[in-house]
Amino acid sequence: MKKTSLFLLLFGLLFFMAACSGEENAAGNEEENDTNASSDGEIIAWAWDQHFNIAALNVALEHYEDENFNLEIIENAQDDIVQRLNTGLSSGTMKGMPNIVLIEDQRAQSFLQSYPDAFYPIDDYFSTDDFADYKIAPTSYDGKQYGLPFDTGVTGLFYRTDLIEEAGYTHDDLVDITWGEFTEIAKDVTDKTGVAMISLDPNDLGILRVMMQTVGSWYTNPEGEITIANNDALREALEHYKTLLDNDSVKIVSDWSTFLASFNNGEVASVPSGNWIAPSISAEDSQNGLWKLAPIPRLEAAGAVNASNLGGSSWYVLNIDGKEAAAEFLGKTFGSNVDFYQDLVEEVGAIGTYKPASEGDAYTFENEYFNGQQIIYEFSQWMEDIPEVDYGLNTYGIEDILAAEVQNYLNGKSLDDVLADTQTQAENQFK
Amino acid sequence: MNTSSSYKAKPRNRQSMTTLRFKKQTIGWLFIILSIIGIGLFYFYPMVQAFLLSLQSGMGANHEYVGFANYVRLLNDPAFLTALSNTMIYLLVQVPLMILLALVFSVLLNDPTLKFRGFFRTAIFLPAVTSLVAYAVVFKYLFSPDGLVNELLLQLNLITQPLNWISDPVLAKITIILAITWRWTGYNMIFYLSALQNVDKAIYEAARIDGASTIQQFFYITIPLLKPIILFTSIVSTIGTLQLFDEVMNITGGGPGDATVTISMYIYNLSFEYTPDFGYAATVSYMVLLLVVVFSFLQFKVAGDDQK
Repeated sequence: MKKTSLFLLLFGLLFFMAACSGEENAAGNEEENDTNASSDGEIIAWAWDQHFNIAALNVALEHYEDENFNLEIIENAQDDIVQRLNTGLSSGTMKGMPNIVLIEDQRAQSFLQSYPDAFYPIDDYFSTDDFADYKIAPTSYDGKQYGLPFDTGVTGLFYRTDLIEEAGYTHDDLVDITWGEFTEIAKDVTDKTGVAMISLDPNDLGILRVMMQTVGSWYTNPEGEITIANNDALREALEHYKTLLDNDSVKIVSDWSTFLASFNNGEVASVPSGNWIAPSISAEDSQNGLWKLAPIPRLEAAGAVNASNLGGSSWYVLNIDGKEAAAEFLGKTFGSNVDFYQDLVEEVGAIGTYKPASEGDAYTFENEYFNGQQIIYEFSQWMEDIPEVDYGLNTYGIEDILAAEVQNYLNGKSLDDVLADTQTQAENQFK
Repeated sequence: MNTSSSYKAKPRNRQSMTTLRFKKQTIGWLFIILSIIGIGLFYFYPMVQAFLLSLQSGMGANHEYVGFANYVRLLNDPAFLTALSNTMIYLLVQVPLMILLALVFSVLLNDPTLKFRGFFRTAIFLPAVTSLVAYAVVFKYLFSPDGLVNELLLQLNLITQPLNWISDPVLAKITIILAITWRWTGYNMIFYLSALQNVDKAIYEAARIDGASTIQQFFYITIPLLKPIILFTSIVSTIGTLQLFDEVMNITGGGPGDATVTISMYIYNLSFEYTPDFGYAATVSYMVLLLVVVFSFLQFKVAGDDQK
């Protein structure tokens, strides 16, 4: 009897503790202190990619003249940043959070809406008119600007001049084409050269998003409703996707490194992707001078433009001590400094979304690797045409459902059913 | 009574038997109270909290109580059902396969006439000490379209085109099953090997004299005698498979589509990949608990009838 009563007592104690800490103040933070901000006026920033985002922060630091400003940059993989922000912010304490954090545009709304008070509005520190229009919707919420737009994911069609010519096409044949025309060229290239036109990872439907955005369409509309069943842009994009696969124009890859290998090894004739892929393409010395750049193809639908976006992220300031200093730093560098953007292009190869920057010298640099093309300038011109899209909250969630349905589609399920089923499943999950 | 005789001289030894026993018990409790508090605080308290969380829903930090709505949602959630059926496929194919393999290996390696026994035992056990992520990444490259496995099969003329081990729904599952079998067979084998040391050799001698073949010895002596340990390993493996995460995350990322997503991976996606809904994620994790209980119970029922 005594044993049981003691156990009961212990369990009672547990429930009591559970009830107590249900209040706001509780819930300790796991990994703290090592990155604890604001104690000695030091500003902490989290970002990923040593050679890109972090390099950009370092360039910004060089351009910022404030003796009292100390920035500590902590490198985290993007997945880790997402995890740490989620665990930290949801625990209700801001301990251990950074002052500045980089968030991918397609994820931003999910953070801004999930943790409304965690971020600091930075409207007063820069002018949104100076930035590419398409960057504003994903980085603002409820009429306030939270993100300072950073790099663009403006897309282009990188292609191998030798293989395209062997198939009987010239640069002009690739300029301002539709995806339908692209699939035909792809077929010719594969038939005549035996090389696949593009490489695709079945788990990554980025190419569908690129296609959809050329007409300003997405999985959801600005009201947050899921628009898959009657989405003509997505329908057309899926048809092209299947055609490319059916024609054997695609080399299937399984992850990022095999994707990089596919074009570095000369196994594909083109890479439709974001501008940030350029350094990876030019990393292969043996293909120097063989690559050129054309605008991204567009969908057939009315209003389609030959400009789209893939990836890209922005800087956010957390609502903790030091927020003014952090916002000030971002505003004075990323938010308004043309010279900084010149260095950014020259030293890092990153194209910002700050419109006045594209008039500088660095942007007109003729890239030897790409046949002397001014690729940075071309990208910055296309960037201004990118249709604005509200990425909403559930891009990645919906895409996981769609990826499964796409497999069914490739195995013969009708496109109507695929879209209708994806719609139903997505509505079940995200409403 | 003998022990207390030495205290007889002291004046305060007039306790009744009950108080003495109570004192003994208190001392016993004192010994374990720290671990009880520790386990309660770090085990049961989070479980209670997780249960309370599973009754809430909402984005990130702004969740509210919704009663059992999450549990209703769970039963109608096709993504969860896919994850569940994938996990069940792993469980039903992989666990029996691995247990059988481990048994066969352990019996082979228990043969005293076998040369280099130590080497083989180590070789088969070694995978169990590798890091989950590290071996998963290695498997991913072995099974990539131009990886070693395809290369080998091509050289042997068993296939004419590289197989899409990772991007084909069925092959991807097979890859995962191969990977976990490689990783865990040796681990289970060690349990059987140690259990075999306790089996009396005379039983096998008697069986041989009676004319039992090696196969018969395996099925009628080894397996029945190892039954308790087989039960133990199959429960541990079942629990491990229900919590499968690292391999799938690193080898296929759940793909192609959702063909290899497991329940644990779905929990991860709900928390960190999609707009976070920790309440619903906690609900799914309670589902894992429920499954573990049900399966362990079933296994006890099926195999544990002659437990003493």
